[in-house]
Amino acid sequence: MTFLNGLLAFGAAAFSLPLIIHFLNRSRFRTVPWGAMHLLESVVRMNNRRFHIEQIILLIVRCAIPILLAFCLARPVLTGWRSLPGDVPNSTVILLDNSYSMDAEQNNRSVLTTAIDDASAIVNALGRGSDVSVITMGGGPRPMTDAPIVDSQMMTERLKHVQGGYGASRIVESFESALGTLAGMSNARRDLILISDFQRSDWENLSSETLRRLQAQLSDMPIRPSITLLAVGRKIANNLSVDSIVLSTQTPGVGQQLQIRATLRNHGQKTYSGLPVIFRADGAQLEATQITLPARSTTQVLFTHAFKRPGSHLVDVEAVVDDGLKTDNRMTASVPVIQHIKVLLVDGKPSAVPLESGTAFLAVALTPFTLGRTKLSDLIQTRTITVQELNQLALSESRVVVLANVPALSGEQVAQLMSYVRGGGSLLAFSGDQVNISTYNQTLCHPTRGILPMQIEAIAGNSDQVPTSSHIVAQHFDYPALQLFNDRANGNLGDVEIWKWLRLKAVTVAGPSAGSSSSQPLDTRQPRIIARLDNGDPLMVQQRVGNGIVIQVATSCAADWSNFPMRPVYVPLMQQLIATMASELTPPCNIQTGEPLAAILPKEAEDLPLSLTTPDGIRHTIRATPVGNHCVIQFSGTQQPGIYRLTGPGIKPRSFVARTDRTESDLRLVDSDRLDSVTSALESRRVRSANEYLQLDSRRRHGREVWRPLLFGLLLFLFIELVLQRRFAKVPGQ
Amino acid sequence: MTISHVSNYLTPHDLSQLQNLQVLARQVVEGICAGLHRSPHKGFSVEFKEHRPYVAGDEIRAIDWKVFGKTDRLYIREYEEETNLRCTILLDSSGSMAYSGARSSGLSKHDYGVRLSACLAYLMLQQQDSVGLVTFDQRVRQYIPPRSRASHLRAIIQTLHETTPQDETELGDVFHELVPKLHRRGLLIVISDCFGNVDRLIKALAQFRHAKHEMIIFQIWDPDELDFPFRQWTRFQSLEQAGNRRLVDPAQLRKAYLDNLKRFRDELTAGCRRHRIDLVPMPTDRPYAEALASYLSMRRRLT
Repeated sequence: MTFLNGLLAFGAAAFSLPLIIHFLNRSRFRTVPWGAMHLLESVVRMNNRRFHIEQIILLIVRCAIPILLAFCLARPVLTGWRSLPGDVPNSTVILLDNSYSMDAEQNNRSVLTTAIDDASAIVNALGRGSDVSVITMGGGPRPMTDAPIVDSQMMTERLKHVQGGYGASRIVESFESALGTLAGMSNARRDLILISDFQRSDWENLSSETLRRLQAQLSDMPIRPSITLLAVGRKIANNLSVDSIVLSTQTPGVGQQLQIRATLRNHGQKTYSGLPVIFRADGAQLEATQITLPARSTTQVLFTHAFKRPGSHLVDVEAVVDDGLKTDNRMTASVPVIQHIKVLLVDGKPSAVPLESGTAFLAVALTPFTLGRTKLSDLIQTRTITVQELNQLALSESRVVVLANVPALSGEQVAQLMSYVRGGGSLLAFSGDQVNISTYNQTLCHPTRGILPMQIEAIAGNSDQVPTSSHIVAQHFDYPALQLFNDRANGNLGDVEIWKWLRLKAVTVAGPSAGSSSSQPLDTRQPRIIARLDNGDPLMVQQRVGNGIVIQVATSCAADWSNFPMRPVYVPLMQQLIATMASELTPPCNIQTGEPLAAILPKEAEDLPLSLTTPDGIRHTIRATPVGNHCVIQFSGTQQPGIYRLTGPGIKPRSFVARTDRTESDLRLVDSDRLDSVTSALESRRVRSANEYLQLDSRRRHGREVWRPLLFGLLLFLFIELVLQRRFAKVPGQ
Repeated sequence: MTISHVSNYLTPHDLSQLQNLQVLARQVVEGICAGLHRSPHKGFSVEFKEHRPYVAGDEIRAIDWKVFGKTDRLYIREYEEETNLRCTILLDSSGSMAYSGARSSGLSKHDYGVRLSACLAYLMLQQQDSVGLVTFDQRVRQYIPPRSRASHLRAIIQTLHETTPQDETELGDVFHELVPKLHRRGLLIVISDCFGNVDRLIKALAQFRHAKHEMIIFQIWDPDELDFPFRQWTRFQSLEQAGNRRLVDPAQLRKAYLDNLKRFRDELTAGCRRHRIDLVPMPTDRPYAEALASYLSMRRRLT
């Protein structure tokens, strides 16, 4: 038996009041000199025993009244009652927080383990015929089973394999998912249990508007579930996390210096000094440093490394610290190292004179170390051909094709180039004095058949009159290849003088009805001006064509139309443009949890049985889908943070890293006031353990409140007391 | 010692109420309608009635020797005699009479009895009747023979004044002791609470009745004794026996006490009725003179 208002049960001690009053009355008597003693004595003598019995009965009745009253107010519940065969089974949804903050250890036991044990206890205690669904919340709601199941044993087994380390709990999404699941469940009695560590970062952002929406959803449900919030874990004071790893380039080449910048944050009040931070590449510790990190502050650590072999590599940074949560002390990144970026330079103005040809400066800019004969290696490998040499074979061997001052291309070449770009190739087209504008507009810049983003209007500027030169607007650049120059320390594009350029205009296409004068941009073409001249003319225009990417530059890459090749920004700009174009189409190897994972493979991989191993060790067989000249694989089940490995016969293993944001590293718990308001808004109850929940549930399911019988008993005793007192005493008026 | 005065006990109002009342004996005994008629009995008196011839058996001292000297015949000289009521007031002065409740204006039962006695004495003496007084507890304390002199009232009042209630009582024994002392028939007025053994009391009263005494019992009650109004725990301490006390919850006892009281009164009433004794309950919260007047009025109506 338990009490709903347990404290009031102590009021039963008031049973002593009638006793005290009785003894006080006996001790505080009055003395009366009495004459009619002969009348009194015989009465006392004859009734003494009866009086004693009556007094005891009255005392018992009077003592029972406060006891009954106290028990009645304390609302006792009898919990020993067994469920009757006809009792209704219930439908239960358990929302289980398996975000990485649940990996925090308390008493050599992770909070997640406690949560799983609690969930198992609740599942095991479900009555016959009850169905249950467990939804994990880390990184987003994920039901553990496709549909609610009745077999609690099976669910308990599955709970044993719940993995932690997921991203931040998405409370609202998980809640809505749970309500959706509950709506489809079969039993009339429904329970929703949320087991979490109730971190501040998850719950503080829950706006009142969101709560109102949830309330409305709850109200709209035909059967409103009973909601219970089960808080596991306690406050942990100190935690340190590696918040991020930023690579200087996403696709470094073999031998290229890669800078790895790690950000570390101290979430607690403790200052760490001499804290070791380790850098590893492919599991091997390569470097270590020591840092000092004051309370509630961040710092960055920089490591450099050059990979000697191409392929997929892993780097990780780890802070060696004994804090509350070890999961976030380490962060890993995948680095796809490439041997070379093969660039095909199509020279429209070949020349035997040094630096006179259309691609001379560009070739130097792209392979400075090769031409400088230094020990350092170039990422880019160039091959220069003439326009006539441009064919299917040359295209297939190249990652990026550069048209430099090409006068015109034959129809076949245009078709091959179109096919190449649509299949995933990259094209960088520079202008020049050799460019045949009308042919360009008819072929490469054609609104429907062309691949360049804009049509050419005319040649602008004059190379003979220097004062009429134009400059690049040195604004904030959004395009990744130009973002390097947002920092003026890396070079100022505004210093470049451009004397001549082609005035580009947006490609227009005829409407669906023939002869219509209205024109509109081609739907499939969405040119993006990534750099503009100070007179407003576009200088660089980027556009995706099929699976490929095209950048059209309005001026020349040689020194005849601008002083670009003479400026220090020329080499990095060209390198960035080529590297970005080569890698922009490569899906990222480092993703956020929940984002789809993708990889481009050679066309030969189409029929190969590929395997993707997730961080929990489960191997998934996936098939590549042919796209253009390549195959693409996609995998969307990336809620679990960690390393995903793609393997298959004939292809080099590739690693992908799914990361979570580090908002959960702040282990502070939500304020009790805030939690109270949420609890109240959801009309839910809060418990601290599965046992407490089961007791509560037991009371709800099997418990019988017995205050009504007690109230009847109380009234009965009051009546009995009145009757007895009148009977024994015969007060005046009777 | 202060000489008590009638006015100490009887207010002018009381006296005026009693002025015109007469005690009427119920039976045909001497003293019934005393002072209002001639008695059929002859006796010694100052007022001559007649001479009659001497017959054997007459008292020698009643012979009128002057007439014998003149006529040489023996004549008896007879006088008219006025018959008087010989009333004796028997006042209970035992300890139980000392009780004084909250509703009796500070008068104890004994005080009430004293005032009642004074009233009666005054009334009798006003009618030229003889009044005596007996105060007693477990024995006779004071005995004042009946006299009809007006000054006799002072002696009675003085005695009443000096009487204090104390000691135990047993009316049966005391009355048994009194019977030979009150050899002349008369009216006995008992003023008592009559607490004690009812059977013995009735037997003693029967002895009085056997001696041809007319009896009236004024049974003095305090209202507390009649309704037992006590609520809280109370230690009842006997007024007659110092060591006798009882700590009880009066609320519980009340019913049984009242039952016992009723039984006691019923027995007493039945005994008195059997011996044709008037039993008049006199609660002390009733004005004693008023109660006395109402009783005497009742007696007059009955006759």
